[in-house]
Amino acid sequence: MEKAFKLHVDTQGIAELIFDKPDKSMNVFSADVMDELGRHLEDLAYAQDIKVLLIKSAKKNCFIAGADINEIEEVKSRVRIEQMITMGHDVFSRLEKLPYPTIAVIDGVCLGGGLELALACTYRVVTDHAKTSLGLPEVSLGIIPGWGGTQRLPRLIGLTQGMQMILSGKAIDARKAYKLKLADAIFPKEFLADSLLDFAKKCQIYKEQDKIIKRRKQKGLISFFLEKTPFGRSMVFKNAKKSVLAKSGGHYPAPLAALKVLQRSFHIDIYDGLKIEIEEVVKLVDNPITKHLISLFHTGEELKKDPGLLNAHDRSKAIRSTAVLGAGIMGGGIAWLLSKKEYPVRIKDISWNGIAQAYQSAQGIYNQLLKIRKIKPHEVNRKMHCLSGTVDYSGFKQLDIIIEAIVEDLTIKKQIFNELEQHIRSDAILCSNTSSLSIKEISENMVNPERFVGMHFFNPVNRMPLVEVIPSDKTDPDVIVTVVSLLKQLGKTPIIVGDCPGFLVNRILLAGMTEALHLLKEGVDMEFIDSVIEAYGMPMGPFLLADTVGIDVAYKVILLLEKAYGDRMHAPDFLREMVDLDLLGKKNKAGFYLYQGKTKQRNSRSSIDVISKKGTSKSSEEVLDRFIFSMLNEACRCLEENIIRKPHYLDMALILGTGYPPFRGGLLKEADSLGIDVIIKKCEHYSQSVHSRFTPCELLYKMQRGKHTFYQSKGDIPWQVAIN
Amino acid sequence: MKERIAIIDGIRTPFCKSGGKYKTLQADDLGAIVLKELVARTNLDVNEISEVIFGNVAQPIHAANIARVITLKAHLPESLIAYTVQRNCASGMEAITTAANKILADEADVIIAGGTESMTHIPLIYNEKMTQLFAALFRAKTLWQRLKVLKTFRLGFLKPIIGLQQGLSDSVIGLNMGQTAEILAREFAITREDQDRFSLRSHRRACNAIQQQYFKSEIVPVPIPPKYNQICSEDDGPRAQQTIEALQKLRPYFDRLTGTVTAGNASQITDGASAVLLMKESRAQAMGYTPLGYLKEYAYAALPADHMGLGPAYATAKLFDKSQLSMDAFDLVEMNEAFASQVIANERAFTSKEFGQKNLGRSEALGEINPDLLNVNGGAIALGHPVGTSGTRLVLTLLRELRRREKQLGLATLCVGGGQGAALAVEVN
Repeated sequence: MEKAFKLHVDTQGIAELIFDKPDKSMNVFSADVMDELGRHLEDLAYAQDIKVLLIKSAKKNCFIAGADINEIEEVKSRVRIEQMITMGHDVFSRLEKLPYPTIAVIDGVCLGGGLELALACTYRVVTDHAKTSLGLPEVSLGIIPGWGGTQRLPRLIGLTQGMQMILSGKAIDARKAYKLKLADAIFPKEFLADSLLDFAKKCQIYKEQDKIIKRRKQKGLISFFLEKTPFGRSMVFKNAKKSVLAKSGGHYPAPLAALKVLQRSFHIDIYDGLKIEIEEVVKLVDNPITKHLISLFHTGEELKKDPGLLNAHDRSKAIRSTAVLGAGIMGGGIAWLLSKKEYPVRIKDISWNGIAQAYQSAQGIYNQLLKIRKIKPHEVNRKMHCLSGTVDYSGFKQLDIIIEAIVEDLTIKKQIFNELEQHIRSDAILCSNTSSLSIKEISENMVNPERFVGMHFFNPVNRMPLVEVIPSDKTDPDVIVTVVSLLKQLGKTPIIVGDCPGFLVNRILLAGMTEALHLLKEGVDMEFIDSVIEAYGMPMGPFLLADTVGIDVAYKVILLLEKAYGDRMHAPDFLREMVDLDLLGKKNKAGFYLYQGKTKQRNSRSSIDVISKKGTSKSSEEVLDRFIFSMLNEACRCLEENIIRKPHYLDMALILGTGYPPFRGGLLKEADSLGIDVIIKKCEHYSQSVHSRFTPCELLYKMQRGKHTFYQSKGDIPWQVAIN
Repeated sequence: MKERIAIIDGIRTPFCKSGGKYKTLQADDLGAIVLKELVARTNLDVNEISEVIFGNVAQPIHAANIARVITLKAHLPESLIAYTVQRNCASGMEAITTAANKILADEADVIIAGGTESMTHIPLIYNEKMTQLFAALFRAKTLWQRLKVLKTFRLGFLKPIIGLQQGLSDSVIGLNMGQTAEILAREFAITREDQDRFSLRSHRRACNAIQQQYFKSEIVPVPIPPKYNQICSEDDGPRAQQTIEALQKLRPYFDRLTGTVTAGNASQITDGASAVLLMKESRAQAMGYTPLGYLKEYAYAALPADHMGLGPAYATAKLFDKSQLSMDAFDLVEMNEAFASQVIANERAFTSKEFGQKNLGRSEALGEINPDLLNVNGGAIALGHPVGTSGTRLVLTLLRELRRREKQLGLATLCVGGGQGAALAVEVN
């Protein structure tokens, strides 16, 4: 096998160990790489001619990107995990104990295991290049740093800062790394070679070494109190735990495990601390939540690379100028998004007052970003200048893409597109941000329906990463590829879904929502239902969600779905009454709940009994079952009908579009862990005891017969693979 | 004969009183708004543009070469060259004529020329004494030295120099523009009554134009940052309720005791931007444009600075010499209303044989300007005078009005602080 490390020693005793993983664009640690590094370090411990060792990477913009995630995912036994981690510990300890100074030369990404290696070096230097970033992202994958990161980082940069980096999983840039004393020196990338030589020489002089070490000392009374006194430390941990629990709802074990390790080990000897680290990592890797998070990470990576088509060549067209039709909440959000990436956006509305609203929503989002210093005022000014308004079609001849976000009304939309087609270039792409209308129907009378595609954003656009891309049967593949690539550039996750009422996410979510409405109608307590669903991990219970979306909006969509799917999406009458009574939800402060400032309470004033009165009780098991199984059944129908290509895409879409709890891995992942037999049994049970809408769909029976699971189905897949 | 320069289309922001609606918009912001709107309205492929030229008088310190700043803020290609021209009040015309010359010299094909001005943002600056104090303070090395410098501070040091006032003054002759208007009033015996009547007419005509929506198609509405809860879509200078009595009550502003020029019969201090798209006639045809009109000929002329208001007479004489045109050929005249007295002085100078012989080297008078054809939709007294922009606006407004009236030839002329004048002949067909 080709070697990943090359060693070079010059006449002055400066050695360079260069990491260059064969056939990869990034350096990552795998078991064999770690093994090779270990053997190098064994030899290096006895090298007499070396005065200082530089560890470098031969990859562009990458020092070491971390450990190979596939290996972590594949590991089956606890013993094997423990072996892997212990091996890493041994190798890095060996590095730490080399008899001469070692320097990690960080030019590019330095994450996870890469940073842990750097931490085991005597010194770290960074280049000021924009790509240089240092971090321990492990918690976002459900694990914790396992190769000494929890020990060496807080000991180097202090408990508060170290904990912050470990718990947030966020990487920092070179300047911040130098400021936090994680890096001992920062060099201009262009002059790295010379600066490095100087630094390597300095490292051999005792006085200079002393200077570097002195710079790392934490200063100030507060930091002394918080880090060096037991009382201060316990305060730090208490606050950290509180904020972790608030953020994760206690569903994610990794940050808590990281905290536990820090709390138990920060004040003791590092080698005892490392043992505690191993203990916790082993427990985590075995945890199903970790496996779920890693699997989702892979789905995310797959989606990033997915061009949107099965057999796509690079046919994406260049997009420069854009327009948004309709300056409502969605139109404003989309205009903001385009302006953020500095695409000129023409905003067309029927009145300038409407256009002003789009400007307001864009500025509002920029104001939030200004507040947290994610953007500078001059950038906001420049980006806001991307916007221009119009009440006619002036300027439309030069546009590459037009995104329609007007009122959800088929007749009006069709009329607008007919009008629009007369004012644009023949190769301009048309999109509709419809959330429920059929793409095929909208494009029925178009002259060029092949350039039209659905592009369904979720509200609020700046916070929701998912965009459903809905081709009709006429949509040109080039258009799909172009739109997918544009959305990726905008930082969104586009997922291709089929053209059916509600598309994928709303169709599945509303199956659950209508079930919650049925439960309520049967007399189950509203707040109880919300609490059960929230305890499951959904960000909002169905009634709070309905209030947030707006009862009128929800009612309109449910009606549409009822028309398409019949009984199983039936909207109970009281929903209509609510609309008539002007109980529209948060927007007018009264819906299922009453809203006052930041607090909410049951709408006890409502004349609708099911809302105002406490209801009868049902077991939380039944409530949750009915909510989940109605969604699951609908999800299977979507697979069956080819609405989505892959089960793990479906799971990702629900997580990104509805906030389905990631720690559960996804709706279909959850179904796999329950087992098809259990699902069918329960569905049949509810089908008899509640309503025939629970009758399991054909796909479920097919899967039962073929003993399939949604994930890792091999050979004959019971759902079709979409070809578009 | 040289080819005509086609003016394809033009656009401007509403003109708004300085320190008012546009107080959160810098000159470059206003410029960017008109630039991107003009590109959109003409459905112009941005890669066709050769250059952007903007006139600007006050040249804000944060946007040196404001034309380039405008180009980038309008998100036109980074590869697009741009520069700024300054001929005081004629800057917005200078941009057009410079562009025309470049196109005729085959140095450029398609140019967007315009003008922008935010009189709101002309800064107040520290006076000489305060500046010297700062300089000394920077030089001082020890605390003791610094204290010694600080001891020389007097409260009067804080009296600012008002940039706007300085900008509207001529340091060579030590007069401000209003004072030169007073000179013309005296020389041409223009009474306070004459001036106030003229001003009232300007307001009436402008209000009528707004009411009839004559300006609507040349204006792009401006959403006002940072809240964007307001859209500005009309000029806010013209006063529908203006009466002659109210004008007569105002005190003379520049010569408090014996003067006749008031804030009411002088142009308003205003912010705004304007731009036009220019190319050769043949190019316009090739691109399928029906131009708004054409630049036929132009001339700039110089005269004594204390009579700068007579610039139109001097420049128009030169224009006639250059083009063989005469006054009676023109269907409409737009003469910038820096001051009522200054426009009236020109009217009289145009008709005076003596003035023509003595000052313009002609045997006859220039020719009478029919008051019914002069500034038919009002002028700067009502609409305001954003100094770098007015030149472009005159051309734009003139061409649109000629088209509306189905007329052919127009004269746009203005006076220039420092003692110059500009005159442009434009035609529709």
